[in-house]
Amino acid sequence: MLPDLPHLALAGFQATALLAAAPLVSGFARVMRAKMHNRQGPGLLQDYRDIVKLMQRQEVWPPDSGWVFKAMPMLVMAVLLVIATGTPIFTLAPPIHVMGDLVLSIYLYALARFFLSLSGIDSGSSFAGIGASRELTVGVLVEPTMLLSLFVAALLAGSTDEGAIATAIANGHMQSAGAAVLAGLAFAFGVYVELGKLPYDMAEAEQELQEGPLTEYSGPSLALLKWALALKQTLVVGWFVGLFLPFGASADLSIDGVFNGALAFALKALVIFAIVGVLSNAVARVRFRFTPRHSWAGVGVASLAFVFYLVGV
Amino acid sequence: MNAHTPLRIGSSYVAALRAKLPHAVLEERWQTDRQATITVKLEALPEAVRTLYYVHDGWFSTMAGNDERGLNGTYGLYYVLSMGGAEKCHMVIHAQVPEDKPEFPAVTPLVPAAVWYEREVRDMFGLEPVGLPDARRLVLPDDWPDGLYPLRKDSMDYRFRPAPTTDAENYPFINDAKQETTVVPLGPLHVTSDEPGHFRLFVDGEDIIDADYRMFYVHRGMEKLAETRMGYHDVTFLADRVCGICGYAHSVAYANSVENALGIVVPERGQAIRSILLETERLHSHLLNLGLACHFVGFDSGFMQFFRVREKTMMLAEMLTGHRKTYSMNLIGGVRRDILAEQKLTTLKTLGELRCEVRRLVDILLSTPNIGGRVTNVGRLDPKVARDHSPVGPVLRGSGFRRDTRADHPFAGYLSGATPINVQTGCDVLSRTLVRVSEVFDSMAIIENLLNDTPAGPILTEDFTYTPYKFALGFTEAPRGEDIHWSMLGDNQKLYRWRCRASTYNNWPVLRHMLRGNTVSDAPLIVASIDPCYSCTDRVTVVDVKKSTTKTVAYKEMERYCRERTSSPLK
Repeated sequence: MLPDLPHLALAGFQATALLAAAPLVSGFARVMRAKMHNRQGPGLLQDYRDIVKLMQRQEVWPPDSGWVFKAMPMLVMAVLLVIATGTPIFTLAPPIHVMGDLVLSIYLYALARFFLSLSGIDSGSSFAGIGASRELTVGVLVEPTMLLSLFVAALLAGSTDEGAIATAIANGHMQSAGAAVLAGLAFAFGVYVELGKLPYDMAEAEQELQEGPLTEYSGPSLALLKWALALKQTLVVGWFVGLFLPFGASADLSIDGVFNGALAFALKALVIFAIVGVLSNAVARVRFRFTPRHSWAGVGVASLAFVFYLVGV
Repeated sequence: MNAHTPLRIGSSYVAALRAKLPHAVLEERWQTDRQATITVKLEALPEAVRTLYYVHDGWFSTMAGNDERGLNGTYGLYYVLSMGGAEKCHMVIHAQVPEDKPEFPAVTPLVPAAVWYEREVRDMFGLEPVGLPDARRLVLPDDWPDGLYPLRKDSMDYRFRPAPTTDAENYPFINDAKQETTVVPLGPLHVTSDEPGHFRLFVDGEDIIDADYRMFYVHRGMEKLAETRMGYHDVTFLADRVCGICGYAHSVAYANSVENALGIVVPERGQAIRSILLETERLHSHLLNLGLACHFVGFDSGFMQFFRVREKTMMLAEMLTGHRKTYSMNLIGGVRRDILAEQKLTTLKTLGELRCEVRRLVDILLSTPNIGGRVTNVGRLDPKVARDHSPVGPVLRGSGFRRDTRADHPFAGYLSGATPINVQTGCDVLSRTLVRVSEVFDSMAIIENLLNDTPAGPILTEDFTYTPYKFALGFTEAPRGEDIHWSMLGDNQKLYRWRCRASTYNNWPVLRHMLRGNTVSDAPLIVASIDPCYSCTDRVTVVDVKKSTTKTVAYKEMERYCRERTSSPLK
């Protein structure tokens, strides 16, 4: 079934708005960081300026790189934009219904990660290669948490459709409130790791790996990639907010409703990124080989959510 | 000063050497009460150094080569040992290498700590250490012409830049790994080091199996410069510039070496001021390293906060010396500026504020989640490896050895009181960091004590004359460990030879052992935990590793060569 015009318009609006706001999100993180460092730091709009500047620069490819390396920023950006049209963020229902399935979302994120890692290996740089293998390892480690917590939510709502889950939570139609809260917590942990922030920014660790898979990128590719990573951070937070904190999202497609939903999302995102900003600047990077210990805790909470669901607490 | 009090602390070592190696000791000369130069026969050199090092608890401080052909027709080798036993003193084993046969039996197979020194003396003087397994250059670049030895008096003008002989990098990095490894190059330019040094990590997955490195990319030829165009007093200012962080320690060491050689007694107030400034330098250097430790584990908030607090120490330095880096304060015979009463009060007040702020920051740092996991048991320096390679400063004290030049060989303002030595036995990055933390607080206490009982009087003496060809050692405990200088005066208002050894020079060779078995992500942190100072080390040239376990030339062969001095095993 093809989506009708209003839904297409909403999908286009949501994807464009998130894309436009992404550098603001990363810029806000930089402002927070500077505040935590007691330094003046860059302005809120610095990442827009960075992207414009990089777009004008020359592109340099490593001699050993192939087409994967060159195509990766485009591919990742495209995949993320597809996700942006499917996740229910401004509204309770997904803008494009077929894209709003949580199994599909999970694998679209995995696809983006796959290309990011592949390009690291393709670049021929040993730092990028190690960063790529870390990226995949982190993916393998957080996926169980995300999957399990989402499946608990799906079981609670009786559907893997993200719109149905969001609606069920928004209306409080849950068989087990305890399970929903725990699943939300586990999912929040998974989302935090997905953000790629300290202490879990292993793949891009500046001091350790010189930014991992990003090492060899330059010019417009780097701009696109930075933009895409900022969009990814916005999207995963939107994913979390859309599913587990859908309050304020629009139940219909009216223009007022959608704008109010967008405003509500902006406020929620502001609070979440402020919390993330404090957390990520108050800790050291976790040693990469200790990461599984942390991710097992996430899996544990998600499993507990499942148990709560079974006993119906 | 030994004219009045010929104490000669350390004479038991000389007696022991004479007993151990009958007829090998040719001459003993005392530069100060606690400094003796013992000339031995060339073939007895390795055994003499080994005896003092392992039997009498000596530690390898430095080795100076010297082109003395104009004086006595030979090249001089001066192996300096800092004696840590009952009689704390410096013993210098001197051997003469004949001009027509520029080779000597290497000490490295017996005392691994000598390896960099012997490679350097081969580069700079063309003296071949027979039996030294590592045939690579240390200081000279790959494209330097063969047979041009910069520090020989007749080799070249200091302004001469020979044309490069090759474009290819031909320095072989050593990898002892048994399995297949990936090469991860760190450097020569790398985001985590502000100075050039090239590390090759040989890794399997994320694990470092082996590592090798090369320094001396920024060799500045300072020793040659000092010998050929600078006067005695100019060199104190040149010595400041050896390091951008701990330069003052170098100029104290240099001034100290000339003062020791000529028997100059520096006025007590001058001595105290030197110590106050050395401790100020230690404060800002250690706070820098603590900040960097935060940075390397990804805790940039800590980094910025430590640098905010460190700024106070820099302002303190500026107030006391007129320069943020405590530069240009020394002259031979004392210091150039007095500390006024008002400055004393401001210093005491600043120290009070600093103490609170540093205490708070250190508490925050140690209670930050993850920090413990990042630094505990990372970069272990085994005490046995440390004993064999003579590292210095917090690197050594973090492995449980109680050694600190300020306490072992008191100089300047440390002569009066007992200096506390901070030791940690964890052998890891955490231990080295904790040693630095304690030293920050000790430094504040030392400055306060010195300021409160600074003796009155002059700060400088000019009551001395230069005597050609006198030589002696000068030493300080810089933030990174012992700095030691060996100076010989010339007959033309210049130095005949200046050998300046920065503390990090002794710490590099153990780094390989510290890197093994850790992961790539820990490498920058481990390198930072020795608080390396690239350009200090690089004042002359070259690099190596591959000691403690390897003996490429059989010891028997070397021993035979020592006895017979014929058919060198390296030819």
